[in-house]
Amino acid sequence: MKTLLTAAAMALGAASVAQAADEVKLQLKWVTQAQFAGYYVALDQGFYEAEDLDVTILPGGPDIAPTQVIAGGGADVTVEWMPAALAAREKGLPLVNIAQPYKSSGMMLTCWKDTGIAAPEDLANRTLGVWFFGNEFPFMSWMSQLGISTEGKGEKGVEVLKQGFNVDPLLQRQADCISTMTYNEYWQVIDAGVAPDELITFKYEDQGVATLEDGLYVLEENLNDPAFVDKMQRFVRASMKGWKWAEENPDDAAEIVLDNDASGAQTEEHQKRMMSEVAKLTAGSNGALSEADYQRTVKTLLDGGSSPVITKEPEGAWTHVITDAALN
Amino acid sequence: MVMVSMALLIWCAGWWLNGRLANSSASNTSAVKLLVPAIFGVTLLIVWELLVRGLEVSLVILPAPSVIAARFATSLPVLWQDFQQTILKGALSGYIIGCGAALLMAIAVDRSDFLRRGLLPVGNFVAALPIVGTAPILVMWFGFDWQSKAAVVVVMVFFPVLVNTVAGLRETSAMQRDLMQTYAASYWQSFFKLRLPAALPFIFNGLKISTTLALVGAIVAEFFGSPTVGMGFRISTSVGQLALDMVWAEILVAALAGSAFYGMMALIEKTLTFWHPSQRG
Repeated sequence: MKTLLTAAAMALGAASVAQAADEVKLQLKWVTQAQFAGYYVALDQGFYEAEDLDVTILPGGPDIAPTQVIAGGGADVTVEWMPAALAAREKGLPLVNIAQPYKSSGMMLTCWKDTGIAAPEDLANRTLGVWFFGNEFPFMSWMSQLGISTEGKGEKGVEVLKQGFNVDPLLQRQADCISTMTYNEYWQVIDAGVAPDELITFKYEDQGVATLEDGLYVLEENLNDPAFVDKMQRFVRASMKGWKWAEENPDDAAEIVLDNDASGAQTEEHQKRMMSEVAKLTAGSNGALSEADYQRTVKTLLDGGSSPVITKEPEGAWTHVITDAALN
Repeated sequence: MVMVSMALLIWCAGWWLNGRLANSSASNTSAVKLLVPAIFGVTLLIVWELLVRGLEVSLVILPAPSVIAARFATSLPVLWQDFQQTILKGALSGYIIGCGAALLMAIAVDRSDFLRRGLLPVGNFVAALPIVGTAPILVMWFGFDWQSKAAVVVVMVFFPVLVNTVAGLRETSAMQRDLMQTYAASYWQSFFKLRLPAALPFIFNGLKISTTLALVGAIVAEFFGSPTVGMGFRISTSVGQLALDMVWAEILVAALAGSAFYGMMALIEKTLTFWHPSQRG
């Protein structure tokens, strides 16, 4: 018993030495994949270590709401889409955007061409698959811009299905269109044996309803703590270094992601393709949130039709304090 | 801090009051029998409210009961729509189809030794399939609407009813069955007059277990694809929007509906099996 206690005490001592660096827990929005390559690269290439950070990356999944994790104190910083973050803010969980590695949105609607859909107007009277869990907001806003109701099929309405995170509804023709990401589900459709010219896609970015995806969010109250701010500045600097490294070396970045995928569910081909698509979305961002992009996101959300995501203009939902210091 | 100490105080007061009531001479009257659990429930709600407010627990973690009640009252049309979709269309139709099929199958199993040896193990196997595995497949087969939810419910309730009914039909003693034979009763005569009544307590056991299974099955199946209505849909999307008060309002509906459904079955059981020792007194 005594030896056991000594051993435990020694182990504790060793652990505390190893953890002299500042701890940061990062909660991802989804499972380990190239969508988050920048963070895994920064960890793997020692960019975090160089900033004296001990970063733990917590993968997400279909049943994990990053906003809830951070509200419960399970993470210091989380990757989240801005619509969900702003909705949470209005519900009383004050999330603040501290950095925005993704410049463009990768979300789109993928439809069968042979259904006769050629333009957004043709979407009326169709069955569309939409992701919920906070991802439905840009879609709702787009439909209300087109003057299409989401309450059911009709001349001026569409049937909306809550789609799971797979592409079966399209392949089975249960839906005429489904939500896809340029870097993930679209390629699952292609991999299922569908030729790209059998499909027609509408990028939210092109429809003017794109909302900011994959930003870094922290709780507002933590920003009053100078030590936390300093830690986040180092974290954002190292993460952005990771992102730029990933953009330049997409294949190596995909390998690093695969090495970190504890589930072993990802394949090399899929991850390399995902990384090259993700690089297109992160290109053009140095990590600082563009105010114009933020305004466009807020406008899209406020135009959300019958049940808007946010009912009033948010205040203090973003800050440049971190990126100003981190990037100069 | 005031609210937290108040919560403790109210907890103790409720405890003391219930203790007095339970030990009093009136403890066997029906009024006190109702009053004791009522006091316990109300105390629990007040303590919950005071603790959540006193400790400033975020709405995202646990909303106060008053917030949930307010949301419940203002969302009645939505809740009613979800109730119709999930419980009336999905759970109830699945329950009726599943239990009906299980009863018919139980009779077939009872008549044929071949089926009993061959089919029950297969039924065992199907019952062991996890719902999270079967639900997406059934959604793929039967579409997004309530039909696929009913199918999930059928799979879930079929086996408990089947096993209980088969066991129930074997409940009569050899002496009783011999007596029916000496009366020259046919299979169906002895089935309806002797064996089915004897099996009723078992059958109702299965039916009661299945009420809650049906609700769980219908709600969980909606997580894997649904139209934009239904309790499972609302719960999963409301969590994404951090509208936890809505999630709790749906949970409240599910709890109320589940208790009512179970109570209804128990009531039918009571009227049909009045002769059974468990119902006497």
